Amino acid sequence: MTRLIRSEVLKLRTIWSTWLLLGLTAVLVAGLSALVGFVPHRRALSTFPAKGTASWFDVLFSVMTLAVDLSLVLGAIIITSENRHKTITPTFLAEPRRGRMAAAKFTVALGGGLALAVVAGVIGLVYGLASVGAGIAPMGRMLTEYRHVWPGVAAAAVLFGAYGVGLGALLKNQVVTIVVALVALAVVEPILGSSVPSVGRWLPGYSAQALESVAANARMHAGPFSGGGSVHLVVWWVGALVIIGYGVALAALGSFTTLRADVT
Amino acid sequence: MASIEVQGLTKRFGPVVAVDDLSFTVETGAVTGFLGPNGAGKTTTLRMLLGLVRPTAGRALVNGSEYRDLPDPMRTVGAVLESSGFHPARTARNHLRAIALVDGIPAGRVDEVLDLVGLEGDADRRVGGYSMGMRQRLELARALLGDPQILILDEPANGLDPQGIAWLRNFLRWFASEGRVVLISSHLLAEAAQTVDDVIVLNHGRMAGSGPLAELRQGSTATVRVRTPDAGRLVGLLSSAGITARHDGVDEVEATGTTAEAVGRVMADHQIVVLAMSTSGESLEELFFELTKGSSDRGFAPVAGVRTGSAS
Repeated sequence: MTRLIRSEVLKLRTIWSTWLLLGLTAVLVAGLSALVGFVPHRRALSTFPAKGTASWFDVLFSVMTLAVDLSLVLGAIIITSENRHKTITPTFLAEPRRGRMAAAKFTVALGGGLALAVVAGVIGLVYGLASVGAGIAPMGRMLTEYRHVWPGVAAAAVLFGAYGVGLGALLKNQVVTIVVALVALAVVEPILGSSVPSVGRWLPGYSAQALESVAANARMHAGPFSGGGSVHLVVWWVGALVIIGYGVALAALGSFTTLRADVT
Repeated sequence: MASIEVQGLTKRFGPVVAVDDLSFTVETGAVTGFLGPNGAGKTTTLRMLLGLVRPTAGRALVNGSEYRDLPDPMRTVGAVLESSGFHPARTARNHLRAIALVDGIPAGRVDEVLDLVGLEGDADRRVGGYSMGMRQRLELARALLGDPQILILDEPANGLDPQGIAWLRNFLRWFASEGRVVLISSHLLAEAAQTVDDVIVLNHGRMAGSGPLAELRQGSTATVRVRTPDAGRLVGLLSSAGITARHDGVDEVEATGTTAEAVGRVMADHQIVVLAMSTSGESLEELFFELTKGSSDRGFAPVAGVRTGSAS
């Protein structure tokens, strides 16, 4: 299994998408953090917290949750890239036990999610330190808020990588998988969440929010795919289990359908 | 001992029967050609052997077990398949390294196979910029990573230049001479004729014939043309030897329904001077057309190297 994982890590390091997503995470987190935290006109919004407060840091740091969404894309690419470029044939020739191959990709996706979370985390911290340096807030408050947000973001990013692999194992096609993943997260989940909140809280996106420990209204200000505040989120560790459940269930479904299919 | 064994293998894609109750065995030490027109079921059979396609019925075994149950698939079988792909951004070296890692094959072996197929100078280029011939060489390099006992090649000559084809031919001969198994599918008969020792001919998913190429050829007849100053005399001699022959042009004789050897013996016995001699109709093409006409089964006897099972 270690060999399979090393092989998958090498594959991941040698495709463009990985570096593109890492770069995208860096650019988007840097840009959006500047926009929500430091651009003056945002202060005009009445609900927006005053600069330097704990709530303001919540909003600033919740930009890091972008890593979670991009981790989903990375997980999807890890598995669907093989179909897209037909490298699935040599991959299955080298490891004909397909379940093992999927398990290795699962594992690597967790690592990929962590890498994206680290990139987002470093940039978030740089902004936090900059605000301290600019005398906006004391170091203690900034670090308290950072510790409050980043670990949850990292955990959600790690698990969303696996969720992406599960989805890719089932849907096979790269473009379809990425579109379905993002539409589910940004459109379907918020609609379900606001119309049937009791169901919505069990969806992967809301489970991720539970894990991120970010106040829903903070994410609404900053997060790209924000849900309504009406959903009563599950406890963080339940959220983690729910995401793992989605990943495993989708991959299991995939291994009985797509993964079993003839490779022609 | 390395072997490939196919028993009652059948694959249906919906209403289409791609492979129909196919049985054969390939054993060590020969290059076996897996021949048939496009759509005969060659690729599907090879993919079933490699665990990529699930048979509807029957078994496809490598060294007595299914591919997915092999303890060391890469060290047992190396396969070059047409639809296999590469990530365009990945270099050839990284493509091979990623696959070598799966079986714990050392990085040194990656350099060896790159060297073997003549890609060492381009190893760190992205595969996206490779020509078709280079990709084919890279595929072969991948198949050889595990130094396998069995090589399965689906249309390996596609995209190779003449030097590449000649190199491949020599390589396969050497590989087989080491007591290993080579199964090579092709619809390019002229190429196959120069490479293979045994053939299995497939038509409409069924066995159309099999056996050593030399034996199959012996059974077929040809047209032999001879240029000789004694044309008139040769026609008479051939006729009395029971060979149909006619004087064609000033110094040419055309003998039909015979072999070059038969004509040659008559000329040698009577000390006839030969200016030129050519044969046609002894080609693998004609043999092939004969075998794949309708669904006739010539029922060639099982011989060393290839044993034929019942096709029905």
